[in-house]
Amino acid sequence: MYSEAVITGLGMIGPCGHGRGALAAALAAGRPVTAEVDRSAGLHREGGAQLAALVGERDVSRWIHPAAARRISLPSKFAVSAARMALADAGLADAGLADAGAGPDRVGVYLATAFGSVLSTEKLLRRILLEGAQAAQPFDFSECVANAPAAQLAIAVGARGPNETLTQRESGPLLAVARGAQAVREGLVNRALVGAVEEVTPLLHALLDRFGALARAEGPLPEMPRPFDRRRNGFLAGEGATLLVLEREDDARARGARVLARVVWSGAAFDATASAADWGDGHAPLAAVLRAGLDSLPGGASGVSAVVSGASGARRGDRIEGRVLRAAWGKVPLPPVLVPKAVVGEYGGGILAPALLALEGAPMGPTPGFEEPDPEVGVAPHDGGAREIPARVLLTGLASGGAAAWVVLERAS
Amino acid sequence: MPRADSGPSPSRTVVVTGLGAVSALGWNVASFWEGLRSGRTAIGPFDRFDHSGHRTHVAAQVDLAAGPGRPRGKPPRLSLADRFAVAAAREAVARAGLDLGACGGRTGVYFGSSTGGMIESEAYFAAFLEAAAGRGRRPAVGVLASQQYNSPGDAVARDLGIGGPVQTISAACASGAMAIGDAVRAIRRGEADAAIAGGSDSLCRLTYAGFNALRAVDERPCRPFREARAGLSLGEGAATVLLEPLDRALARGARPLVVAAGEAATCDAYHMTSPHPEGIGAAEAIREALADARLDPAEIDFVNAHGTGTPLNDLAECKALYAVFGDRAGDLPVTSTKSLVGHLLGSAGALEAVGTILCLLAGEVHPMPDGGAPDPAIRLRLVLGRPLSLPRARQALSTSLGFGGANAALVFTRYRDEGHVL
Amino acid sequence: MSKTPALRSRIKHLLVDALHLEGLSPSDIADDAPLFGEGLGLDSVDALELVVALEKEFKVPIQSHEVGKEAFASVSALAAFIEGRLDAVGNADATS
Repeated sequence: MYSEAVITGLGMIGPCGHGRGALAAALAAGRPVTAEVDRSAGLHREGGAQLAALVGERDVSRWIHPAAARRISLPSKFAVSAARMALADAGLADAGLADAGAGPDRVGVYLATAFGSVLSTEKLLRRILLEGAQAAQPFDFSECVANAPAAQLAIAVGARGPNETLTQRESGPLLAVARGAQAVREGLVNRALVGAVEEVTPLLHALLDRFGALARAEGPLPEMPRPFDRRRNGFLAGEGATLLVLEREDDARARGARVLARVVWSGAAFDATASAADWGDGHAPLAAVLRAGLDSLPGGASGVSAVVSGASGARRGDRIEGRVLRAAWGKVPLPPVLVPKAVVGEYGGGILAPALLALEGAPMGPTPGFEEPDPEVGVAPHDGGAREIPARVLLTGLASGGAAAWVVLERAS
Repeated sequence: MPRADSGPSPSRTVVVTGLGAVSALGWNVASFWEGLRSGRTAIGPFDRFDHSGHRTHVAAQVDLAAGPGRPRGKPPRLSLADRFAVAAAREAVARAGLDLGACGGRTGVYFGSSTGGMIESEAYFAAFLEAAAGRGRRPAVGVLASQQYNSPGDAVARDLGIGGPVQTISAACASGAMAIGDAVRAIRRGEADAAIAGGSDSLCRLTYAGFNALRAVDERPCRPFREARAGLSLGEGAATVLLEPLDRALARGARPLVVAAGEAATCDAYHMTSPHPEGIGAAEAIREALADARLDPAEIDFVNAHGTGTPLNDLAECKALYAVFGDRAGDLPVTSTKSLVGHLLGSAGALEAVGTILCLLAGEVHPMPDGGAPDPAIRLRLVLGRPLSLPRARQALSTSLGFGGANAALVFTRYRDEGHVL
Repeated sequence: MSKTPALRSRIKHLLVDALHLEGLSPSDIADDAPLFGEGLGLDSVDALELVVALEKEFKVPIQSHEVGKEAFASVSALAAFIEGRLDAVGNADATS
């Protein structure tokens, strides 16, 4: 029997700390959560980015026994911990999942990552290139595959349904939510763990910076991501993991679970004008897909009372994001545009948890870094003022390389 | 028009109208099929990188000189994995006669890759380390633009002017099959009107060293299901299938090749590098793919197995086949494409899907190279030496059992012109 | 043999370091305690990781068919195995 897909649990490890309370505080304050990246290895260029949104507290022993954690990578630890938090938040426990029947009773996993376990990959390559072919270490190899966190998660909680790792960069987290929701809706699984995970190492940070992708100090301007601002010059690299529990709405209601949101629409498209590492300028076709999706919902675009935007401070990324939003809304003014990546950075599923907080009416402070609108973009993000608690929010994720993904979440009373 | 996601997936027949393949057997499907029929392995000496420090020295390498070369007028930053993918996708689209100018906006790309542009990144990193040690200049970072897992899929979408959904997944050895599975479901739910689904991976030092560190690589070309098997052989290449809803394919005058009848994916949730010894997760994936195809196990005519040639995989897979097919498993023809083109990791499932489809179309199951007695503990009907003629074969199964326990199964059935009945 | 206690100690340190056996001190590992299955409860990937560390530390090759077998049953067994290998390649000084 058909049932909608709803979110019943949230778990996260991020730069703000573990769990929603710390994140809510950071979003309300409107302050990026950053730390200095270790540049002592000499990988970084002079005058480049120095900050990242890093996970400060890496002790995950509360969620993973040290014996189980000894040979898994940091992304795997993040993913397992966040998944256990999400399950607890949903009122579910591992024991209820393990070997739970067949077919749809198994739990699906849809996890996004842009870079996988960068540290394991780096260690493996260093060994091979510097010490020779046979110096490669099995622990590093088994953890450097992109699906290692999803696989470790499955082993930890006994999730034996489809196990899919989406590697579509900035669109990945929303594709993961969409795929999980479709699997639940279509009866493939009754429950799914969906989300994203990332780690930012000094090497990754240095390479992103060499691409000119990261926000950096320029003239009198301090280093800061400035989404939608005329002077923006890059994004803030962030790490962590966000996991959501998705299940059939029927089941959630039947067991008295608290429903955080309903997934009511997802869409995806591609901008072929983008180059491999940047965003393009084909906003019109993307806007058409988004507009058609919004029109399929009751109330259309006007029924969406907040946008939780994937804008990050990337020059061309924010430009196409803004133009897509403006074109999709047409003559109707945009609702408040929230920009969580200004606080938590890019990666690690940055906008998922803030979107749920927004649906709950959590206060959102002014968007840090935004002072001067960009006439080429024409979007001013939320200024911290009062706003209605949205009943329906649009989440956006436009990826470098050209992919685009959107999800609409609805508050489920 | 995209619509609000509502209702369960309609039971809509999805057909394959185009195929593309790049492998050690050549840059197109014709050479791939010719090589598969021959039973002569393409696994042998290779020079993609220096492997003198390894215990093994064979792989199935694509002959770059035989390929189309770098596309003119395009940015030069295509990795090998990108080039393989673009060639395979172009072939599939051309075979299907699909006019992307008209429907590119409603066409999607569903891809799999396990390492993307890794071999190019390794060269970058080697130069980077040299420079850090004071030897040579720091390399330009631009080559890393095509480094990531999504690069081959994106390169296909960019090359063909795609506007629909584009996604890449990385599920190790099951990526290609899962990408096809995702595409089948996407077509069923109307997310796209056509889908280019497949995968691409090139040989690289990382995976060659990694699998060798796991002592999982055979010194000789792999011998799946044989008693003397000693590990896998790595390969490279790309493969794609073009999927469409049957009604749209017929409406535009396309000829369906086969029906993509069923798909399923599961996870062992058991161990990172070893499959569940009883193959439970694999058996479940097979059963669910059959259920998805509305077929009874008795209706499968042959199996294109994951068959890597590692002691553990082949045994677990055999147990999975017996769990699903019962005693009939001993009579079901089984082959492994990996014995001829190696293990393509992220694109393996896609290349093997193409191989399975070709076998169905030709009415014969391609052989594995002869030589080496079957493992007495594995009582399967292996197709060895010469193709097995099965003119009445209608339904086939292709399996992928991945690193990390991801299992995928695909079922393809012949398309009957007189009106397909599922 | 006078070389063996030092060799066993080195192997115990290697086990703890290479396999990230945090919370375990090398001296906690009994010479004859089973390493795989029960005892320390190591598995196949641990065996392979250990092999890479052993080959690097002692500069002796270890064949695939030897991995995880009798030679790996305990620290004592490993020490005897390594010592045999070292003698065979004439590196008697390596264990002093």
